[in-house]
Amino acid sequence: MKWFILGPEIYFLTVTLVFLILSLTHLNGRRDFRAALFLAALGVAVTLATVRLEGSLFHGAYRVDLYSQVFKGLLSLGFFLVVCLCSNLNGIDEWRHSEFYLFLATCTLGMMLLVSSVELLTLYVALELSSYSLYALVPLRSGSGQQMEAAMKYFLSGIATSALMLFGLASLFGATQTTYVAELALKLPGLLNTPMAFVGLLLTLCGFFFKLALFPFHVWAPSVYQGAANQVTAFLATATKLTAIAMLARLVSMSHGNTSMAHVLIALAIISMTYGNLVALIQKDFKRLLAYSATAHAGYSLMGILSMNQTGYAAAVFYAVAYLAMTFTCFLVLVKVAPNGSNLGVVQLAGLHRRSPLLAMGLMVGVFSLGGIPPTIGFTAKFLVFNAAMERGYFLLVLIAMINVVVSLYYYVQVVKAAFLLEPDEQLPVIKLSAPATILMVIMIVVIVVGGIFPRYLFQLTQAAIEALL
Amino acid sequence: MNMELASYPYLSAILLSCVAGLLVILFIPREREALVKWVSLAFSGIALVLSIYVYCAYDRTLGGLQFVEKIQWIESLGIHYFNGADGFNLPLILLTGIVHFTGVLTMWELRGRVKEFFAFAFVLVLGVFGFFMSMDLFFLFVWFDVSLFPMYPLIAIWGTTRKEYGALKLFLHVLAGSALVLPGIVYLSVVSGLRTFDIVALMQPGAFTPGQQKFAFFLFYIGFGILAGVWPLHTWSPVGHVAAPTSVSMLHAGVLMKVGAFGILRVGIFLCPLGWEYWAPLMAILATIGIVYGIFVGLTQTDLKYVVAFSSVSHMGIVGLGLSTVTAEGLNGAVFQMFAHGTMTALLFSSLGYIYDKTHTKLIPDLGGMSRVMPMASGYFIVAALAGMGVPGFASFWAEVTVFISALKVYPVLGSLAICALVLSALYMLRVVQRTFYGQRNERYAQLPDVSFSLGLPRMILVAVMVLFGLFPRLMLDLIQTAVIPFMGGLAR
Repeated sequence: MKWFILGPEIYFLTVTLVFLILSLTHLNGRRDFRAALFLAALGVAVTLATVRLEGSLFHGAYRVDLYSQVFKGLLSLGFFLVVCLCSNLNGIDEWRHSEFYLFLATCTLGMMLLVSSVELLTLYVALELSSYSLYALVPLRSGSGQQMEAAMKYFLSGIATSALMLFGLASLFGATQTTYVAELALKLPGLLNTPMAFVGLLLTLCGFFFKLALFPFHVWAPSVYQGAANQVTAFLATATKLTAIAMLARLVSMSHGNTSMAHVLIALAIISMTYGNLVALIQKDFKRLLAYSATAHAGYSLMGILSMNQTGYAAAVFYAVAYLAMTFTCFLVLVKVAPNGSNLGVVQLAGLHRRSPLLAMGLMVGVFSLGGIPPTIGFTAKFLVFNAAMERGYFLLVLIAMINVVVSLYYYVQVVKAAFLLEPDEQLPVIKLSAPATILMVIMIVVIVVGGIFPRYLFQLTQAAIEALL
Repeated sequence: MNMELASYPYLSAILLSCVAGLLVILFIPREREALVKWVSLAFSGIALVLSIYVYCAYDRTLGGLQFVEKIQWIESLGIHYFNGADGFNLPLILLTGIVHFTGVLTMWELRGRVKEFFAFAFVLVLGVFGFFMSMDLFFLFVWFDVSLFPMYPLIAIWGTTRKEYGALKLFLHVLAGSALVLPGIVYLSVVSGLRTFDIVALMQPGAFTPGQQKFAFFLFYIGFGILAGVWPLHTWSPVGHVAAPTSVSMLHAGVLMKVGAFGILRVGIFLCPLGWEYWAPLMAILATIGIVYGIFVGLTQTDLKYVVAFSSVSHMGIVGLGLSTVTAEGLNGAVFQMFAHGTMTALLFSSLGYIYDKTHTKLIPDLGGMSRVMPMASGYFIVAALAGMGVPGFASFWAEVTVFISALKVYPVLGSLAICALVLSALYMLRVVQRTFYGQRNERYAQLPDVSFSLGLPRMILVAVMVLFGLFPRLMLDLIQTAVIPFMGGLAR
């Protein structure tokens, strides 16, 4: 049965149907959560079961290989983790819960289709499936009007970027007379010195720069991070970044080490990390801070991709995995600390070390990992990316990135300081963690630390995935 | 360099005792403060015993790298878990063991958030031990940062004067140093073409061109130099030392600053000897300025802790001067000075910490006549101050003599300048001793208890170590020599 290789996609399509039906029945938030948790956990199992499958479908427009399957595994994991955050989904009205899960599932489905697409039109359709789900997810939040502002910003800048991307796709087709990535990869290297092909590829990349919140496509990020419900932001900050890095690696690898392309990417990476870190310095809201730090991290992860060698792509993929782990840890703390699903100012973390020592420790590990302090997975990821860039001789780029790391430590330390040092004005109650939440937190801490100390197998896996890509 | 594989992983056992201490503490309920302290003492004791064992069991006739443990970590990048002991790092491993053990004893009266304090302290010491024994650049850097980041919470939570400012300044400065070190390390690994981070493999002559060595050495000198307190990059150090709680000051001035100096030695000098020779005059000038500057600024301070902190800048200048001579004696003296200064400054901070705990002041004008109130506590401080002046009979005497003799040969002007400054240092230490411990007694503190036997124990240990190596300097100098002679002989000239 050759349709087995579509297992994860078919499964997630079924999940969306289940939630479609649930949204038609009478409302019951607990039931929706339990169903989502069960289906998401099963989804991880289904996806992992298909990791080793390979094949090609739809006349070569859709390819299943280790590269795509690794990302599908990570996406299903990201979906599961975000669902884990929804036990107390009070940022969203209860009658919308099943719709929330529905759009979350369609978005995951879209991204799964995306990482397997090797034909430009398929790719575009899959991208829009995931994008439109996100456009619908952002305004789901109940309460004041800020979610509508966020949704409008996200939607307008999103479709503008889509238009740019379509223009790029058209140019690529015009230059090469093909929409298949495999054929593009053969024709492009010779054509990249022509403006049409070069601009075409660059504009195509823009669609994913937008997802990654890379400068200058980051403008939506702070408002959307702040305006969307915490769980939606967690999904935006983890799963979509994964997909963006996967697709950037796939598209940039078509240029086969073109230096002009590398120079453009270097410029973007430097501006992005510098701008993101400098603006993050003055943020007061934890989610806004994470939004700007995401812009900075987009710059770091791009360093692996712009190295355009095998270690570089593998390092970028490793970076994506690390970013998933550490950002999720921060959001786990945020969701547990934020009262009634509201936003969380950095100062509201005050006294966390007494309210919940475990959360405080998890926050410290997660934030220091984002800051690139060993022995965490965030450090190892940075090290791998820097190593790849250095192999191409980009010494200055690495130096600038390292200086940026030090700048970023300032605001990461402010978060740690708030949690460990500041005392709240009034006595706040102890945060009671349920047993599953405690276990999840401990697992995340262990993953971040162990991933930093023993990166070997994860790195081998990413290298194997990259071999499948190239 | 000949290598002796370890029959038993003693070096990893030292690291593991720190990890075990950390984990056990994490699982103790936070109310059981006494238990936390006893557990810390037990595991730091194990680490101390192991480091003494390794120090004594090292075969001096054989030399080279012993107790070697080497495991492949990431094949594709050439990263190994690679530990080894030689004449350069053994004194420092011993020093770390001593300072941590005495530091735990010094903090025996700590109240409030005891569990977290000792947990962070174990992370710090773990990083320092790992840094000293690692022979792989990747791990070296990892341990470097592991030893640095606990400084922030340790100072910011338990510190005193302007603690948040001091902690943040220290943290950002030393991590800015690491921002230069990491590109330097990756650069060396990539340009060597060997695809390895193994220091021994990268040490082969001709691995790097002279230009590459000059460039990389400069990065390491600045990067590690910030932590080593090289003038003018030292500004974080007095502020940080003053803000830190007692045992953290001990660890920081006693051990962490040596991490910086040792980094220059292990990475800069080992891998880029030509760069070392090229930049040596600059190192000598900055080191001499540091010595002189530390003494003169120390002369004007009214806060006891600032006095000690600036004396650290000055004494680390002596280490830098020793390294800058590019001679065997200079290296020998520099490593010995790292050890001697580590014990001495630990004792200074430790005895000062006791006085501060009781009187809640460290301003010299507020104190006075303390020797009649606390004869023992004052005695420890005075002993350490004498050692700092370079009085014979203490380890620092031999270290300073060795450094200055070699410095006079290589840089006559700078060397004599430094020696003159050292005479002045006697003046400023004596001034502090006189005003604080003699003279008019402040009646407010007349009823305070003197240091008890159990609290005096860490200070006694430190005094004993200083005197032991002061009377028998060959116990250490000969050991360092086993590493220095082959290393200097192997340099291509």
